[in-house]
Amino acid sequence: MDPNRVRPTQDSVDELIRSGYAHGFVTEIDSDTVPPGLSEDTIRLISQKKNEPAWMLEWRLKAYRHWLTLEEPAWAHVHHPAIDYQAISYYSAPRKKGDGPNSLDEVDPQLLDAYNKLGIPLEEQKALAGVAVDAVFDSVSVATTFRKNLAEAGVIFCAMSEAVREHPELVRKYLGSVVPHTDNYFACLNSAVFTDGTFVYIPRGVTCPMELSTYFRINEAGTGQFERTLIVAEDNSHVSYLEGCTAPMRDENQLHAAVVELVAMEDAKIKYSTVQNWYPGDEQGRGGIYNFVTKRGDCRGDRSHISWTQVETGSAITWKYPSCILRGNDSVGEFYSVAVTRGQQQADTGTKMIHLGRNTRSTIVSKGISAGNGQNTYRGLVRMAQRAENARNHSQCDSLLIGDQCGAHTFPYIEVRNPTAKVEHEATTSKIGEDQLFYCRQRGLSEENAVSMIVNGFCKEVFNQLPMEFAVEAQKLLNITLEGAVG
Amino acid sequence: MTTADTRPSWFEQLIMLSGPDSPGQSPAWLDNARAQARKTLAELPVPNRKQENWRYSAVEGLLKNSFHPTAGYVPDPQALDPESLLLPSFETYRLVFANGHYVPQLSSSERLPAGVTLGNLRTALGSDSKWIAGWFGQAAGHTEHLFTALNTALANDGALLHVDENIEVDRPIEMIYLNPGQDDASLIQPRNLVVLEAGARATLVERFIGSGKARYFNNNLTEIGLREGATLAHYRVQDESRNAWHLSSLYLSQAQQSRYRGTTLAFGGAWARTEYNAHFRHEGAECVLNGLYTAGDRQLTDFHLDVQHSVPACISRERFKGILYGKGRAVFDGRILVDRQAQHTDAHLTNDNLMLTRDAEVDTKPQLEIYADDVKCSHGTTVGQLDPEQVFYLRSRGIAASAAHRMLCLGFANEIIDSIELQPLRDYAIHRLAITLNEAVARG
Amino acid sequence: MLSIKNLQVDIEGKNILQGLDLDVGAGQVHAIMGPNGSGKSTLSHALAGRDGYEVTGGEMLFDGHDLLALDPEQRAHLGIFLGMQYPVELPGVNNMVFMRESLNAIRRARGEEELDAVAFMQRVRDKARLVDLDEKLLKRSVNAGFSGGEKKRNEILQMAMLEPKLAILDETDSGLDIDALRIIAAGVNALRSPERSIILITHYQRLLDYIEPDYVHVIVGGRIVRSGDKELALELEKKGYGWIEEEAAA
Repeated sequence: MDPNRVRPTQDSVDELIRSGYAHGFVTEIDSDTVPPGLSEDTIRLISQKKNEPAWMLEWRLKAYRHWLTLEEPAWAHVHHPAIDYQAISYYSAPRKKGDGPNSLDEVDPQLLDAYNKLGIPLEEQKALAGVAVDAVFDSVSVATTFRKNLAEAGVIFCAMSEAVREHPELVRKYLGSVVPHTDNYFACLNSAVFTDGTFVYIPRGVTCPMELSTYFRINEAGTGQFERTLIVAEDNSHVSYLEGCTAPMRDENQLHAAVVELVAMEDAKIKYSTVQNWYPGDEQGRGGIYNFVTKRGDCRGDRSHISWTQVETGSAITWKYPSCILRGNDSVGEFYSVAVTRGQQQADTGTKMIHLGRNTRSTIVSKGISAGNGQNTYRGLVRMAQRAENARNHSQCDSLLIGDQCGAHTFPYIEVRNPTAKVEHEATTSKIGEDQLFYCRQRGLSEENAVSMIVNGFCKEVFNQLPMEFAVEAQKLLNITLEGAVG
Repeated sequence: MTTADTRPSWFEQLIMLSGPDSPGQSPAWLDNARAQARKTLAELPVPNRKQENWRYSAVEGLLKNSFHPTAGYVPDPQALDPESLLLPSFETYRLVFANGHYVPQLSSSERLPAGVTLGNLRTALGSDSKWIAGWFGQAAGHTEHLFTALNTALANDGALLHVDENIEVDRPIEMIYLNPGQDDASLIQPRNLVVLEAGARATLVERFIGSGKARYFNNNLTEIGLREGATLAHYRVQDESRNAWHLSSLYLSQAQQSRYRGTTLAFGGAWARTEYNAHFRHEGAECVLNGLYTAGDRQLTDFHLDVQHSVPACISRERFKGILYGKGRAVFDGRILVDRQAQHTDAHLTNDNLMLTRDAEVDTKPQLEIYADDVKCSHGTTVGQLDPEQVFYLRSRGIAASAAHRMLCLGFANEIIDSIELQPLRDYAIHRLAITLNEAVARG
Repeated sequence: MLSIKNLQVDIEGKNILQGLDLDVGAGQVHAIMGPNGSGKSTLSHALAGRDGYEVTGGEMLFDGHDLLALDPEQRAHLGIFLGMQYPVELPGVNNMVFMRESLNAIRRARGEEELDAVAFMQRVRDKARLVDLDEKLLKRSVNAGFSGGEKKRNEILQMAMLEPKLAILDETDSGLDIDALRIIAAGVNALRSPERSIILITHYQRLLDYIEPDYVHVIVGGRIVRSGDKELALELEKKGYGWIEEEAAA
């Protein structure tokens, strides 16, 4: 019998390359794309194209001037050639037929078709029941569904550029209040050049009647995507939000530097789920998205609750730490993550749980899967501030290695300033047991099937956190991603 | 910001001082090692918080003192109280150093078994030093570490132990470092070398004893070489003065099937840091590190463990427990790195911290960096306080709150203390911990 | 049904089975006994096709199929079931989902219809009763956190679900108290049929009080050195393995 059977065979690797990425198509559409380059003029141009008020432009310019003083961070456990920020086009939008906001009927059929191909029908009658979608194509939001139904409940769900015009008082109050432009290099860049994104506002006492979601698509070559999402949940309101992302297969690296800010007031609950499947590059590491994202939630009110769930299968490089500032007493932060790296992918991801209030609780469950030459890093911070009486954290970080050319790394930072706080962190590293594979095969399962079953079992705690439809999607995505990873 | 410009001036003086003390008297290999270290010392940036290894342990307080070596100082043995040094019923072969200088009058190495060399570096340099040349600076290498370079650049005395093949040393070997200090700025730098040849077995106990309120910087460095199948049990008790800075750097070099078992008890110092560097380059070796630390008011205790597996089938275990009280601070950084070739590595680390007071602080950072798939690796860390239910349970049985706290803390520490295989040392550890706990509980 | 001729198996270069012959007919129950390290478990793993059990000589035919040419799952599809001495834990993998995947994989391979959810549930419930397995355990991860006895019962449950032609039960009795042993034995006895053969691998005679074998074989040094009926097992119980090892060595 072949003792090397658990190693990938050439055939299975070939199959993996072929089957790796299902969303790599390009939509031929006439786009309005500004030439590459970044200067104050670029920012003025973006602001002008979006018809923004003066305060917004000032806000952007302030961020840009600060960005010029910063240096790109180098501490993450990732490697990439230097990014030429002058070679990126900072604005690209499908050309519109007329002026003014689109109703769904006016959306270019090409775009509708693109989203249909991605499995995200924008026509409301075809849409997934109970899910409203904001579709962001390159730099702009092209459609937002079910707005009427949501408006009836008092929920604002619209493109960020529209919110800047229509709800300036809300945007001015909250934008940058969780992630200030001074926060870090990529967040600062985003503050200067962000083009669109989603704005969600849930008024006091309202439970959002449907799942909200944004689907991000990068289409145009040579562009970057810099979206900005802001979700505000007033006292005693609830919302569940999901984002998905894909991009065409290209030989170049494209930059995606988003900022997401969440604000949860008293007794509010925000559940934020991400299924990230940006193009990861090919097996040799050519192309793929640099996904450098700042996500942070502020549990501002007592008993507020923010939960991050992420399934990260795409991108050449992922650099993101969805975090919670547990300011309100009895507030709760959660982070559930599955990150898969294969081929030449690198991920440096994790979370920060900053406990400021009394009786605050946080849970971290991170599942890293490395295959091929993938490098997967969990990096997390748990800080118990001096007045965080009786705060609790439990972290579990597990890594699964598939093959002997990949890496799995765990770098937790734990800082405790309060004796009544309790922190527990555990991490393990393992591979799929040869005995587990044999057991499944003895019961008649194919090796491929056995691997998929064991890996899904490994991720179960995280998948359980996703809304049902997306949990199924995530599972499928994981299976496709890992197809052939074990021969 | 810290750059070469802000290098303290005493550093510059030391670099100049560290030239060959009497040209032609020390062997060429030592002169070379020192020259190289001087170069490193002149070039390396001073540690600062932006460097990952110094993120939580500020050295500014240390560097602003103008330390100078205690060269030429000959301690008066009469002034040292030999009785107070020794542990009851503890029969050892003993070396004693005061302020880093060998004190033959207090040392005792009669009846050493054949094949065991025990002595001090300075004396050995004058005689046959061939084996030393083969080992000196090997495990420590040309590490980019400022304090390692500082030790090497000025190395002139320290402890030496060499055990021949297949010899089992019949008693523990004890190395006592008395640090009464001299003035308020002594730089004490023992440079130690411990080598066990193939199949040799020994137990080594190092004790750092500071007196009173002496202020000094003990920057000691120990290189340990274990040949094939050698076994070393190594105990270290750090009880420096509460005004002292203490940095221990340990570098391990282990051959196939060798076993190192290190246990550290850290009670003293104002700023005390221990760095273990274990790099497995030969298969089948095992390294176990246990540690117990306490820190109270104006104390920082810091452990940096760096265990690298570069070959298959080695085992590493690290278990560290800390008790913090008053304004005590603890820093723990434990890295396990497993290279691509290091299949069948078995590496586990735990760090548990008990915070007894409001103002105590803990920063702990275990790290796993894994590049091989067929390995068993894990780490776990906890920070918490005594379980109020347990305290209540004891009190409901009539035990006073303070006694209950002490009992539970001892219980917490017991796992480490219990692993001490020398009865007199175990008794001492319990006694010493009790003193600290009395202080901690009284302090509240 | 199963015919093993001159089977030689190495593990990590060490020769464990040294020319083993065994024929098992339909409906028969064979007990294989022997001292520790004699090669009992090696035989069971080699039959199931585990990696690392290198067959260096001999043949294994099952219903005319050359087992050596088949992967573990293909052998399972033919109807070979190995109840393991140490059933493996699969964290996060739901016990029911696992059994259903397993059952349907085997049915598909045989060109049978997959069992729908309702029929499957019905069948699990029926069979779980057979081994007195708490239904709560069906909803948990496969074997994860199960006690020793629960794991063994779960194995017999799977055997009942999969209805194999040949069941190899490797030290199913080890680590069980007498009550658990009775339950397991009752489960196995209920599955005895003229079409189903069973190989019981055990160190002790105790199991055979509850499951009566048609044949008893003794392995020593990687070979079957003696075969008989259940009287042989009783004799071993009385006299230990020493005399038979001496005979084999002579």
